[in-house]
Amino acid sequence: MSVQTTPVASRLASGGEQRRPWSYAWRRARSRIPLWHLLWLLVGALVFLVPLYALVQYSFSGLASGQSPFHWYLTVFDDPQFGTSFWMSLQIALETVVVGLLLMVPTAFWVHLRLPRLRPAMDLVSVLPFVVPPIVLIVGLIAFLRPFTWLIDRPEVLALIYVVFALPFLYRSLDAGLRAMDLQTLTEAAESLGSSTARTLFTVVLPNLRAAIIGGALLTVAIAMGEFTIASLLAFNTYPVYIYNIGTSQSYEAGALSVISLLLTWGAMLALFVLGRGGRTPTQTGIIK
Amino acid sequence: MALAEVAESAPRSAVDAHARPSGRAGLRRWAFLGVVPFIAYITIFLLIPTGELIVNAFRDTHGHFTWSNVDQAIHGQNLAAFGFSMQVSALSAAMGGVLGFLVANAVLHDGIPRFLRPVLVSFSGVASNFAGVPLAFAYTATLGTTGLVTSLIGHVGLHVTPLFLTNLLGLSLVYLYFQFPLMILLVLPSIEGLKKEWREAAANLGASSFTFWARVGLPVLAPSLLGMMVLLFGNAFSAYATAYALGSTGLVTTTIGLLINGNLTLNPQLAYALAFGMIVIIAVTVSLYTLLQRRASRWLG
Amino acid sequence: MSSVQLRALRRTFGETAALQELTLDIASGEFVSMLGPSGCGKTTALRIIAGFEYPDSGEVLVDGKDVLGLPANRRNMGMVFQAYSLFPNMTARQNVEFGMRIRRMSHEERTTRAAALLDLVGLAAMMDRYPRQLSGGQQQRVALARSLAIEPKVLLLDEPLSALDAKVRVQLREEVRRIQRQLGITALYVTHDQEEALSISDRVAVMSNGRVEQVGTPAEIYGAPKTAFVASFVGTMNRFEGTVVSQQDRTVQVGSTRFMMANHGFERAAGERIDLYARPEDVGIAMITNGPEPPPGTFEGKVTSVTFLGPVTRVGLMTDLGPLLADVSSAVALGLSLDGRVAVKLDSASLRTIAG
Repeated sequence: MSVQTTPVASRLASGGEQRRPWSYAWRRARSRIPLWHLLWLLVGALVFLVPLYALVQYSFSGLASGQSPFHWYLTVFDDPQFGTSFWMSLQIALETVVVGLLLMVPTAFWVHLRLPRLRPAMDLVSVLPFVVPPIVLIVGLIAFLRPFTWLIDRPEVLALIYVVFALPFLYRSLDAGLRAMDLQTLTEAAESLGSSTARTLFTVVLPNLRAAIIGGALLTVAIAMGEFTIASLLAFNTYPVYIYNIGTSQSYEAGALSVISLLLTWGAMLALFVLGRGGRTPTQTGIIK
Repeated sequence: MALAEVAESAPRSAVDAHARPSGRAGLRRWAFLGVVPFIAYITIFLLIPTGELIVNAFRDTHGHFTWSNVDQAIHGQNLAAFGFSMQVSALSAAMGGVLGFLVANAVLHDGIPRFLRPVLVSFSGVASNFAGVPLAFAYTATLGTTGLVTSLIGHVGLHVTPLFLTNLLGLSLVYLYFQFPLMILLVLPSIEGLKKEWREAAANLGASSFTFWARVGLPVLAPSLLGMMVLLFGNAFSAYATAYALGSTGLVTTTIGLLINGNLTLNPQLAYALAFGMIVIIAVTVSLYTLLQRRASRWLG
Repeated sequence: MSSVQLRALRRTFGETAALQELTLDIASGEFVSMLGPSGCGKTTALRIIAGFEYPDSGEVLVDGKDVLGLPANRRNMGMVFQAYSLFPNMTARQNVEFGMRIRRMSHEERTTRAAALLDLVGLAAMMDRYPRQLSGGQQQRVALARSLAIEPKVLLLDEPLSALDAKVRVQLREEVRRIQRQLGITALYVTHDQEEALSISDRVAVMSNGRVEQVGTPAEIYGAPKTAFVASFVGTMNRFEGTVVSQQDRTVQVGSTRFMMANHGFERAAGERIDLYARPEDVGIAMITNGPEPPPGTFEGKVTSVTFLGPVTRVGLMTDLGPLLADVSSAVALGLSLDGRVAVKLDSASLRTIAG
């Protein structure tokens, strides 16, 4: 699209043209390059990027002469606790995804298919975890789970708890996916051809839900790998807890660890973005705050 | 399995009803079994713990009913904590709401390239999840004593107090980082609901951009925007990790943390009461949000 | 009321030229339709006049004065959009009063005028309803009243009836015309529906690819199309090819029939191929009653399709002129059957040629 900001003078020179006020050219230019809106996009970009830049810069500073710029990253990789905490978080995240999907995929499918009247109730229930944030839930959980020492001592308990917080995102992602695929028509078609409900679920529904499932799974991984509140209060050494502990004494290493954490979230979101192109991505909010 | 029968769908042929000897009522009861695992799960891991904590908020160490926990929770230092939490939540919600709205409105404007919208949505997704410990470090690197921006504005003569990040404005600025992307994600569909024709008709009838927003745009969006800011309020109110990592102690959430973790400060009864207070406040915000959204859909729906 | 002149308007969006040298004159108090298929530029032209788009070059004059220098909210033109333009947070009355409030008219004036206008469009009883409580047709009436409230110099209508049901459309277009006549306001009406354009306009500008193909009264556009596009876009047209026999006698040979072209300036040389056009309603059909030969003055045709359209029936024919469509009264068509033989009558007087 060509931008024409013809000054008044040249318009007169072209002969026979009307003399228009400066404001005309100004307005026409503005309709092609909206300044006010560009300003706010710039402000938004700054708010997003400045802290990230500061963090990254920090992770490359505080170096003595002769040290590699990646010094803090290398130090961190050398620490065995980095590996164990990261691996623990990853394990928990994967467990959360598995339990979450095992629970929600059949549930979402079932509700959509057989109990559509429950859909509003499901929407409500999927909002419940927002009303009971991690810090509140842990208070109740400590009391409730105290007698079950065998459970509360294992990191797997974190996965079970995280499922609760992943629930809204999993449900919303699956719900959007099911709605987009017109579940009714597909299952009717399948069953008119002789398929059982289970077979329909596995051969028709699941393949079409792949994007929604992967989307929900990515969000769950992001949530699980970044969760701090419950992990720290239950005294598990997950990755975010590890970052915090390091941060109390070694701030530069903590900076490097945070950058790694950021890259992880970015990676998950990038994957989500690539997936979501063409489809709708569910609203993504953090509960790690 | 028999043909699926959906309660609310368009009436199927009479054949379906006859094909099931158990009758419609029996089928529906059986269908509920399908959601039992889900119900069971949230009962165990959400409803029961919440119920227990609410009950325990009114129990003393011997298990007898008492108001003293709740009483303690709403007085003195704890009341101040509620106050501070609500101030930070309100301020970050207001700032996040306004900034999020302006940015979302900007990206949807006609003259802005289309590809920026999915980019913004993705960034917003990243940013709203980048909270907790890494965010605290990022802001320390930005606005802390040796922060990037701190030194920058030091050149201009402005001074950032050492504990800036834990006071009202500082903490709200940190929270802004995940509040305003959340607002963007929430508000984009609403702004799209503002028909282009309204703007043009208003201009055609002689209205300036300001008049349009004052008479049409904002009135139509107001319930929706307010609802979203209320949600942002609840979002900030629940925040723990970021504040904890920054060393902020005046909030309800960090207070609760101290009460159940600290050796010197261990006081689970008070923790229950404070948590109960939190639930009440957040429940109110979620209800307000739902109400406002319903109101909003009347004009935008 | 005001006259409007469009001079050589050009507008290019990226690769596509939406408008190419659009020039059109609209007299004061005239009702002119811009008719054309999607993408022909009619809406772009309207939006440029209203001020929502800027042309790359060209002029828009109202009463001889350039208006492009004015922002959209100072051009004093009323615009009726296709749909959704009523402000949802205001009642019908408040919508109508909107423009008047901006012009700081007194409360009394506003209320009287709003009531009068809503009465004019037949919605006095719905004054205090919100847009969501009104039907599509009612909303457009309010939109019309609202645009008239500011006493505009020109009324611009962008396919205002396209989103409405067929019956409502017919009813409303009559009303729009009636109100326009009553107020004597200059109106520019954009539509892709030719029936609409032909029925209510003083003149019609047929557009294609950003240009005006022909401007004229509805009768001229229909009866005397000047380009092949206009001929085929407005109404249905039969087209067949013939060879000129003699320029002097103005005779053309098509198949085994010879036609004598009547009054049109005939400038083709003998032996040239020429396109001839005829409207289906000018093609007559009669049953062949006696003998294998069609009566004199007619030629033979075979029925290939019979489509009942309500008042007329469209009969597809195969003749040695080529395929033809004939519109006959449904009573006559009753006797027809597929593959039947009929006598086709086509007067030379109904034939047209297109110059250029």
